[in-house]
Amino acid sequence: MIQLLLILHVVVGAALLGALTHQAFAVAKRPAAPSKSFVGRFTGVNSPTFTNVVCLLYATSVVIGALLYPRYRIDVRPLLEDMQLRAANGLFETKEHFAAVGLGLLPAYWLFWRQPLAHEHASTRKYMTWILAFTAWFNFLVGELLNNIRGMFP
Amino acid sequence: MSQYARLKVFSILYGVIYTGAFLYSETCQCAWFRYYPVLGTFSRHPLPLAEAGLPINWYSWLLIGFLGAAVGAVATPSKLAERIPHSWVWGVAAATLVVIMVYERRWFY
Repeated sequence: MIQLLLILHVVVGAALLGALTHQAFAVAKRPAAPSKSFVGRFTGVNSPTFTNVVCLLYATSVVIGALLYPRYRIDVRPLLEDMQLRAANGLFETKEHFAAVGLGLLPAYWLFWRQPLAHEHASTRKYMTWILAFTAWFNFLVGELLNNIRGMFP
Repeated sequence: MSQYARLKVFSILYGVIYTGAFLYSETCQCAWFRYYPVLGTFSRHPLPLAEAGLPINWYSWLLIGFLGAAVGAVATPSKLAERIPHSWVWGVAAATLVVIMVYERRWFY
């Protein structure tokens, strides 16, 4: 069961990264005309379509993380302490707080991305999307680091 | 926007209350409730470390943040909620992340 949840956590996290990264780049710069380049197409997505998916994936990811947390405390944290990897513990502590802050931001994120988009809310949408993308990337990378830490610090 | 303006209040309050609950919990070494993964049980009171292992307080901070923000959002008049500058939403969230990073730097020395 734990293995299944762990795989699901990674899959949901990867999907969330895809959606949020698209949106984060798209709000940074809106091309005047459709582009044929990879970067142009990447940033030229229809951002609002990602909103509900991002909310669902972010909340799902936090819930799965909350379910996995007890196992982490029993199996992984003592290992990190034995290996004297304090920084790795600190990264996980930061990850849990970032997840919580991102979760709390979702209602406002959903509100400002509702259709029709108000032009005067553009900067609010941009910064909220960037904050969520930052927390999602940080949490994903820290999660992967901790998952593979035995191999990285034998 | 008007009928949903309280969602903005919820997001602002959630970050502040969650971080406040976390910092207060760290300062006084207390929590509303704890989860002991070794025993697989919740407890309002601290249990002996040797038998129960380290507790998880994160769930209590999440719940405090959610309840506090929900009550605050419902109690805020919608006209006041609408007048709150939009920049506060991301500004408070960004400030919360900075506070957390500053506090958690203790792990890296």
